[in-house]
Amino acid sequence: MLHRMNGILVIGPKREFHDIVDVLYHTGTLHLEDVTDRLSHETINLEKWESGYGDDITASLVKIGGLIRTLPAIKTLWEHQRKIYENLYWMDHGNLVERVNQVVHTLESRTRDLAAKKSDLQFRIASLIRYEKTIRKIQPLEEQLPLMKGFEVTVLLIQKEFEDVIALIEDELVNITNNQFELISAEIDEYTLATITVFSKRYSDAVHSFIFSKNVNEVRLPPEYVGRPFNEVLVLIDEQIRQATAEMESVNTQLASLSDEWYPELSVLEKVLLDKNKEIEAFGHFGYTDHTCMFMGWVPEKYLTATREALEGKFGDRVVVTELSLSREDYNQAPTFYENSRLVKPFEFFMQLVRPPKYLEVDPSPVLAIFFPFFFGLMVGDIGYGLVILGFALFMKRRFSDLDWLRSLMNIMIICSIPTIFFGFLYGEFFGDLGEMMGWIHPVHLMGITWNRMEAMLPMLIIAVAVGVVHVFLGLGLGIMNAITMRSIKHAAEKAGMIFAISGLILILGAAAGALPPVLLQSGFGALIMGVPLIIYGAGPMGLLEIMGTVGNILSYARLMAIGMASVILAVVANTLGDALGILLLGVVVAMLLHTLNIVLAMFSPSLHSIRLHVVECFSKFYEGGGKFYDPFKRQELTH
Amino acid sequence: MVEMGVAIGAAIAISVCAISTAWAQSRIGAAGAGTIAENPELTGSVIILEAIPETMVILGFVIAAMILIL
Repeated sequence: MLHRMNGILVIGPKREFHDIVDVLYHTGTLHLEDVTDRLSHETINLEKWESGYGDDITASLVKIGGLIRTLPAIKTLWEHQRKIYENLYWMDHGNLVERVNQVVHTLESRTRDLAAKKSDLQFRIASLIRYEKTIRKIQPLEEQLPLMKGFEVTVLLIQKEFEDVIALIEDELVNITNNQFELISAEIDEYTLATITVFSKRYSDAVHSFIFSKNVNEVRLPPEYVGRPFNEVLVLIDEQIRQATAEMESVNTQLASLSDEWYPELSVLEKVLLDKNKEIEAFGHFGYTDHTCMFMGWVPEKYLTATREALEGKFGDRVVVTELSLSREDYNQAPTFYENSRLVKPFEFFMQLVRPPKYLEVDPSPVLAIFFPFFFGLMVGDIGYGLVILGFALFMKRRFSDLDWLRSLMNIMIICSIPTIFFGFLYGEFFGDLGEMMGWIHPVHLMGITWNRMEAMLPMLIIAVAVGVVHVFLGLGLGIMNAITMRSIKHAAEKAGMIFAISGLILILGAAAGALPPVLLQSGFGALIMGVPLIIYGAGPMGLLEIMGTVGNILSYARLMAIGMASVILAVVANTLGDALGILLLGVVVAMLLHTLNIVLAMFSPSLHSIRLHVVECFSKFYEGGGKFYDPFKRQELTH
Repeated sequence: MVEMGVAIGAAIAISVCAISTAWAQSRIGAAGAGTIAENPELTGSVIILEAIPETMVILGFVIAAMILIL
């Protein structure tokens, strides 16, 4: 359900503006609206409040952000962070900016130098490693080099994704050198190839000019390596890598020591500045006249008294809180604030897949909370699978208790496991037909049907489609409620007409097929005749095409049977295969693997199809969405 | 002969629908992957869109089952 929202206008003396903002910010209940937009200029000449602090805060954020990105992150005790936060947050603007400047002044040049040095060293080490790998590749040629007087050896580095260019180079070298060259390619690392070319010095200029024109990296060894034997060069490179690594360690140690000293304050400073920035952004929503300041917004009804008391407690009758008498159109702009029971709350997670409902719309999350587990249970329907899903969800919820989204998802799985076990009992399924084979459980015989899914395909199909009729009709019914709330007679007529038309079609088909008494044939035609004009009135003649769309929506619920059938067949295959293997241990392992696969599929596929049935088949009949979530003007909680 | 015809009919009903669904899902999947790469917030919508063509194969399965049972 959506919580009732109240539109309020807060008026106070202009000289106490900052204090009023502080109280509203700390009460943290007001979802701000732009008061200068909402009150017409004919009523009152309101000016937008401009905060002069924005530029300072943005500049400080950039500086602090730069320092944080340079220093290695360290974990800080939450209590310590909280203490620094409270200290910094309550500084006035001037002191806060001064503190930022002090920190920046102390750290900026040191961290900049260290970061530049670190970057140089990283580049140097990478180059040395590359030289080393290249030299190791061409080392076998060393003995031949004296014989190759008058020849030049060039090493080219080519990224693997452009290795086609090697063939191009080879073709061109044939032309340039009259085929007097050698070309060998070897892998240096997973991304780079080294291509070594040996050619007559006569063609040197032409070859280098061609290589340059193709934008290929040519390895030019540093002067200190030139003319030395490769073994000596390798020793030199090793020594230089060792030196550079030692220097890098020293730089890292210095950065770590700076981080130990400053990182907690820097990270908290960034949070405080972000918070202040958010507060300043909100200033654009406030308005003022010569002597008063005004604030407008939405407060959930349950917080209204607290908001009023906070303002009255601080300012007495100098600040007035007025509840606004708003039109239906105004209420349609109110933010959405869910207030659902503990059982429905986890299903708000799925509502993130669609746009939030508008304030005056029916909140679909209770529909999801009722039908999602029902559909899931109807599809999976296995006592064993239900128990495994329950255990898995409990474990995951406990193991990853800090991940909100996972907790919501696991709560949904816990709720879904209950109908799964119930339907498993009805179908007589415990890990497929294992329970029945062992004589532990049998399908229930109810309403003249033995609820064995493998055999009762047709009854299951009829039940699935019947569930579809109920679900789609519920959607249409909610659509009528929404239309009445929005005073849209045409929409209400269209939805009602659709209910009549579909009911008529069901009666006609049922009676014609002999499944219903023949007398209902006339009632069916009556309902269809009543429905058609209503649809034409509500949606025009083209609206009649929607009847086929709705029939398609209802038939789509056949998936409740089809997916369930696929699940049970895979479970039976697991048991049959396990049994057929003849070796007990091997059979158990194979069956367990297949059941595990089936359970993973059972958690994923029925969830997806259940959501789809809601979003596409049911919600399309009533749900428009496009609302905005309640986002009160308040300080962000410092997270652990 | 009739039995064979029934079996072939059921096979055609499910296989044509399955191929059609696979083709539609491959197109949606490719477009969806691109969409998610550009805007990860649309992941939920893309997953739902990906599931939409499955109606075809499910109805094909139902028709095949009805051909075999009825």
